[in-house]
Amino acid sequence: MDPTTTDAAPSVQTGVPRRVTKPRRQRRIAPYAFVTPGVLLYVAFLLIPIVYAIYLSFRGLRVAGGAALGRREEVFVGFDNYAKALTDGDFLAGFLRLAVYGLIAVPITLGLALTFALLLDSGVARLARFSRTAIFIPYAVPGVIATLLWGFLYLPATSPISDVSEALGFGVIPFLNGSTLFVSVANIAIWSGVGFNMIIIYTSLRSIPKELYESARIDGANELQIALRIKVPLVVPALVLTGLFALIGTLQLYGEPTTLRPMTSEITHTWVPLMAIYRDAFLRDDLSLAAAASVVLAVGTLLVSIVLLRFTQKRAFGE
Amino acid sequence: MRTRITTVVGLAALAATMVACASEDDSDEAAQPDGPITLDYWAWGTSQDGLVEAWNSAHPDVQVRRTDAGGPSDSSAKLVTSSRADEAPDVALVEYQSLPAMIVADVAMDITDHVGDLSDSFNEGVWSQVTFNDQVYGVPQDVGPMALIYNAARFDELGVDLPTTWEEYAQAAADVRAADPDAYISTFAPDQFGWFAGLARQAGSVWWEVDGETWTVNIDDATSREVAEYWQNLADEDLVDTGPILTPEWNAELNDGNVLAWPAALWAPGVIHGVAPDQAGDWRLAPLPQWEDGNPNVAFQGGSAVVVTTSAEYPEQAAEFAAWINSSQEGAEVQIETGQYPASLLGQEATLQSDPPELMQGQDEYWEIAAEIASSTVDEISWGPNVNVADSAFQDAFNSAVTDGTPLVDALAETQQVVVDDMRETGFSLSNE
Repeated sequence: MDPTTTDAAPSVQTGVPRRVTKPRRQRRIAPYAFVTPGVLLYVAFLLIPIVYAIYLSFRGLRVAGGAALGRREEVFVGFDNYAKALTDGDFLAGFLRLAVYGLIAVPITLGLALTFALLLDSGVARLARFSRTAIFIPYAVPGVIATLLWGFLYLPATSPISDVSEALGFGVIPFLNGSTLFVSVANIAIWSGVGFNMIIIYTSLRSIPKELYESARIDGANELQIALRIKVPLVVPALVLTGLFALIGTLQLYGEPTTLRPMTSEITHTWVPLMAIYRDAFLRDDLSLAAAASVVLAVGTLLVSIVLLRFTQKRAFGE
Repeated sequence: MRTRITTVVGLAALAATMVACASEDDSDEAAQPDGPITLDYWAWGTSQDGLVEAWNSAHPDVQVRRTDAGGPSDSSAKLVTSSRADEAPDVALVEYQSLPAMIVADVAMDITDHVGDLSDSFNEGVWSQVTFNDQVYGVPQDVGPMALIYNAARFDELGVDLPTTWEEYAQAAADVRAADPDAYISTFAPDQFGWFAGLARQAGSVWWEVDGETWTVNIDDATSREVAEYWQNLADEDLVDTGPILTPEWNAELNDGNVLAWPAALWAPGVIHGVAPDQAGDWRLAPLPQWEDGNPNVAFQGGSAVVVTTSAEYPEQAAEFAAWINSSQEGAEVQIETGQYPASLLGQEATLQSDPPELMQGQDEYWEIAAEIASSTVDEISWGPNVNVADSAFQDAFNSAVTDGTPLVDALAETQQVVVDDMRETGFSLSNE
């Protein structure tokens, strides 16, 4: 991309060739001047931290000298941290938990979001504007607040749900124990996430030309057929986008389990990868191992995103 | 393409320079202030505002600004990070168990020259918690000799006798269950590392030992395994509740009178009063049950000291502050008023003239019992340089053991392994295999 080619057009229109030489040099500088703030911010807040994290991941704190309370100093340790992260059973088990969580949370979030969006768009729903806001509001509740709120609903002694189930003779529901825990954690994410995803899909639905529905109706299609055969295929790009967000959101799961941790013995310090990274960095004071694990997680996220986009690109964007 | 490579290389060099700058040490020369100075002090807890206020009004030239940087473990974690950036506060409160880690991370400064003569103000066991190789790294503020607090009203109601040994405690636990199936004598909280360490210490185990330059880790020794087996039995027979404590769930049970006792330390009354204010006057203090009849020894759980950090610009003034708030009459008064058990001998004597904490209203001999407990503490340091690692490993291992129903002794072995591996990797000399 040569910035001068497109910029040259107006000067031709003015028809004043004499002024071309000087502004041309200015124009050569101008685009760079415009992108400089962006580039500087990008370098300062993205590139340097990434490079620094990669640098840190090859370092480690080791005791200098043999004293019983010798001071630890930062030294180069090669791939030690990567070897440790990739062979750490707790860290890897966190990815398995993420998979279970993701298999529950992602399809339900997207399924509900799509269903609500289609219902709101169909025009048959009453109180559409109110419903849209009502579904969206949980997204505006901060994650920690939402988790505390649900935590109180989960704990037997404070939960009205358990009061009801006990009164009916079913006993206490162990929301925060065993495999129910995954559903309970996923539920919080679904509750907060459906609204956001619904808005994206709904916006995409509104941009579909109404003529398509009209001709479908003339061809004898009912509302359900229109929804499944016309609307859904046309909002696939929005679905891919929300799917990608949901996937990345899954890999970044941290706030909910961390907030729930004091309430249950089931959630360890390493329940999900980001929690393990936090523990290494701040509870174990091993910033280098945390950096290596972060690089592993980031590369993993990148690979998963690329694979997802590869698989869906053709269908979604026709490229 | 070439420009891109040079940019990346340049950035890497820039990043490296930044690191080099950050890790560069300031000169050790202590500066002397020209005029009034301000010291930064990180500390948690209800006593701190009063302590700082008392100091500030008595010392106009050295003002102290306090920041609450979170509870013990959060505050320590931030201290290490900020110290590495040379941005740490001048003075900070640190739990005794984290002090070795603070020394190894080069956060706590050797202040022997400034406060070395304070040793007479504290009893030997307490002073040993801040002294390593004859060098003093902090001034003790409060101590937590372990004790039993119990809801005497509920004990009477259910006709349960106060246990004085752990054997009797198991019997009392069974009596409670028999008298009221909704109630438990107490909770075995699998995430309470300091609590379990204290019980193991009481039984005679020394988790970290140092001989010259060589460490020995004994978290998994026979004594600690016996302690684990004791609680395993109580948990298996459903005589104690298992699960985290001080959660909304636990607090609700406590308020319902379903938690009858809490073996903890002398700071416990304030905590229980905070979550169950309606039970004020129902609770009593008693010595912690013993492993052997007639041996009143107890260990410490919690308690903290004030350290001067290596980032401090005026170490002399900072040390003076640390010494004053923790060994003066004024400081002791603030601590007692706000429910801390002072570490200084002067402060501990002053408690005898005080009223019992609100939770123990009516127990006039409260402070005498407290003083007796405090005089039977086991001295000898038993904290190693990576207690933070042990703490998180312990919590995870014991939590998993309780949820999966696997033996607690296995969790103990797992914790030991993590601690040994970490020390070996860091480069400490170890006698463990």
